[in-house]
Amino acid sequence: MAIVNLQNVTYKYPLTDSPALQNINLQVNEGEFVAIIGPNGAGKSTLCYTLAGFVPHFFKGELTGTVEVAGGESHNSSLSEWVLNVGLAFQNPFNQISGAKYTVFEELAFGLENIGIPRQEMKARVEEAMKLTGISDLADRSPYSLSGGQQQRVALTSILVMQPKVLVLDEPTSQMDPIGTREVFGVIRKMAQRGMTVILAEHKVEWIAQFADRVIALKDGQILLDDIPSEVLTSPILPANGFGISRYTSIARKAQEMGLWNKDRLPITLDQAVEGFFNEGRK
Amino acid sequence: MHDRLSFYYYRDSILHQLNPLTKLVLVFGLMLISFIFPFFWTPHILILVAIIPLIFVGKVKREYLNATIRIILPATMFLFVMQALFQPLGDRELFRIWFLHPTLESTLFAFRNAARVFAIASSFTIFLLTTHPRELMSDLTRRGLPPQIAYVIISTLQILPQMQAKAQTIIAAQRSRGLDTQSSFLKRVGSLVPLVGPLVFGSLVEVEERAIAIEARGFTSTRVKTSLHEIPDTNLDKALRWILIGLVVITIALRIWLS
Amino acid sequence: MDVISQNIVYFIIAIAILVILFAWAYATGRMQKDFSTMTWVLIPVAIAINGVIGYIVGQLKLPVFLDSIGTVLVGALCGPWAGALTGALSNFVIGMLTNPTDWWPWIPVAFFIGLVAGLCANAGFFKSWWKVVVTGFLIALTAATVSTPIAVYFFGGITSSGSSFITAYLLQTGQGILQAVFSTNFLVEPVDKISTAMLAFAIVQGLSRRFVARFPRPENVETEGGASQTQLFVAIGVVVLLILFAIFILSRITGG
Repeated sequence: MAIVNLQNVTYKYPLTDSPALQNINLQVNEGEFVAIIGPNGAGKSTLCYTLAGFVPHFFKGELTGTVEVAGGESHNSSLSEWVLNVGLAFQNPFNQISGAKYTVFEELAFGLENIGIPRQEMKARVEEAMKLTGISDLADRSPYSLSGGQQQRVALTSILVMQPKVLVLDEPTSQMDPIGTREVFGVIRKMAQRGMTVILAEHKVEWIAQFADRVIALKDGQILLDDIPSEVLTSPILPANGFGISRYTSIARKAQEMGLWNKDRLPITLDQAVEGFFNEGRK
Repeated sequence: MHDRLSFYYYRDSILHQLNPLTKLVLVFGLMLISFIFPFFWTPHILILVAIIPLIFVGKVKREYLNATIRIILPATMFLFVMQALFQPLGDRELFRIWFLHPTLESTLFAFRNAARVFAIASSFTIFLLTTHPRELMSDLTRRGLPPQIAYVIISTLQILPQMQAKAQTIIAAQRSRGLDTQSSFLKRVGSLVPLVGPLVFGSLVEVEERAIAIEARGFTSTRVKTSLHEIPDTNLDKALRWILIGLVVITIALRIWLS
Repeated sequence: MDVISQNIVYFIIAIAILVILFAWAYATGRMQKDFSTMTWVLIPVAIAINGVIGYIVGQLKLPVFLDSIGTVLVGALCGPWAGALTGALSNFVIGMLTNPTDWWPWIPVAFFIGLVAGLCANAGFFKSWWKVVVTGFLIALTAATVSTPIAVYFFGGITSSGSSFITAYLLQTGQGILQAVFSTNFLVEPVDKISTAMLAFAIVQGLSRRFVARFPRPENVETEGGASQTQLFVAIGVVVLLILFAIFILSRITGG
């Protein structure tokens, strides 16, 4: 059952000549974990904003085609309705702090206050979400006193607390240190395992390779590839178009050229690489 | 931004527990009465009868003294001196130095004005010391203040200290290079630009993403908003507010009757 | 005070005009256009800019205030009512935090600074250096006009700023209190407010077009023909003209 349906979507930001998205066709089923990869300027953020309703409602510009997400259609909905169904988190954790609240608990409740959730339910949702993302110990801290990783987890939690049907994440670990990255990916993986529909734009292909159901390769606003990770991440189209690829894949590809890799399939994870290099050798 | 006033301090006092609106009414009531009541010594009496007791009721002696000595008293004294010296009232000169010739009338006038300003500033300070901004905004929003205004005020209260900290760094850098008072006007201004520029532009570019973030949390939702905290409004609160309004009305009536 | 009751008619007329303007802007939807989410997020930043630049200027003992740059910025990018709100809240918050003896009477002045900045921007006067100078001058005029009756009523004309020395001197020469205070304000304001407007314009020039397009009124700040060298000279020429004009006005007020 498709919870995301984009058909022939083309979008141009105001004051620009070339479209940021061209003829995007994308269907995502409920519960899928889809990753979007692409070089800078490919349109990953624009695609995220489109899924989250900010294109066109916040950015204006020209949007053609059908954008249907979680039961809403872009041209017929307002942004304030859209955000009830689709949650968005992005790169900079500091800029996602509302500034309206003094403690993390209040910060998490901010969205719920805005949409009129009754007090009891508000508190219950916040406490449950904090447990889920492991930030219960931060409840009384000021959001400004937290580390980047902590702030990003708070940002994620404050979106999760709104109980969206689809979670859109635009490079949430780009500004994190390794610990923060691990913390954030941990939360994302947990949400995906619980059946949340997750759409994640990311550079860190090695992590995507392990956990995503599907990978979409985006370049110049167009979808080049849309398939399972082992197909997309091993495709020669990626390095030819300036995409970052996993170290394991590139080593194995080099090995393949030298005749040292004997499997048909290139690896995309560490385990696959190890299996390919060492188990073969032991034969 | 000179020295900062102290903010809310949590204490176990009646004043802290009063509803924020009550305290606001108290402050404005004092302000109106000190201006309108047709008796010269009104502000002075208010200070003795209302302000000083409130300091004790609110258990904020030390913080209040701190604020008074650092800011309120100097400003009020300066005002007093300026007005006493220059206000052109009456003829009974007290003394004459150079072109300064304060009169008895102007000194009394200045004394009353200074007392007024002192009373108002003090009552606002006590208010700030005993009321957390989140309570005030939450209560006012419940009573009809647009939530966007509440957002702006609290957001400002959080951003200001952050920006000020950065500004302090800039000042310190300027001082260490002797650029605060020694060099020429143009040099001072010129050297500021590469420091203040990034500060200003940095804070401005954050605006777009923060706007997206709060939109994503339903900032523009048209639903009726709820609030996490419940701010109590007791009978004592209501009674106090009515008494104060009554006092203000009496004051206005007296003023009109006597003029 | 007698002076006030004599002039109460002007006061009432001014309030009436403001109320009508407010009602018209609200009814035609012009006011609502000022306030998008970007506006609400910009205002705290603008207030912080007011505070920070005002503070730095104060610490460095420069002979200006420059504490309304954020207000003018909001007025230009978002509109007059957003600018007015920024001014009022700015005085309110910064005043409360730093100088509780002196903030509340000047809120209307800050309100009008933002309002006039926005009105000038709407009228197209924020698109080149010389136009910005004119805007700054108009803001100064408004600020002087609005602050005069406030200074006279609340402080008898003598406020806790150094300019009161000037007022005292003028009073010596037999000036009426209103004229003296106005003349004082009118001497001080233009330098400050023209610089403020020019700095706000400079800030807008430094922002990307893409970013400015997000605000409610990006058309207000579309530079005409680029902010070039000649434009700057034209602006300086306008400043000189305005100074001469101001001196003329002042001499008429003080002489009459």
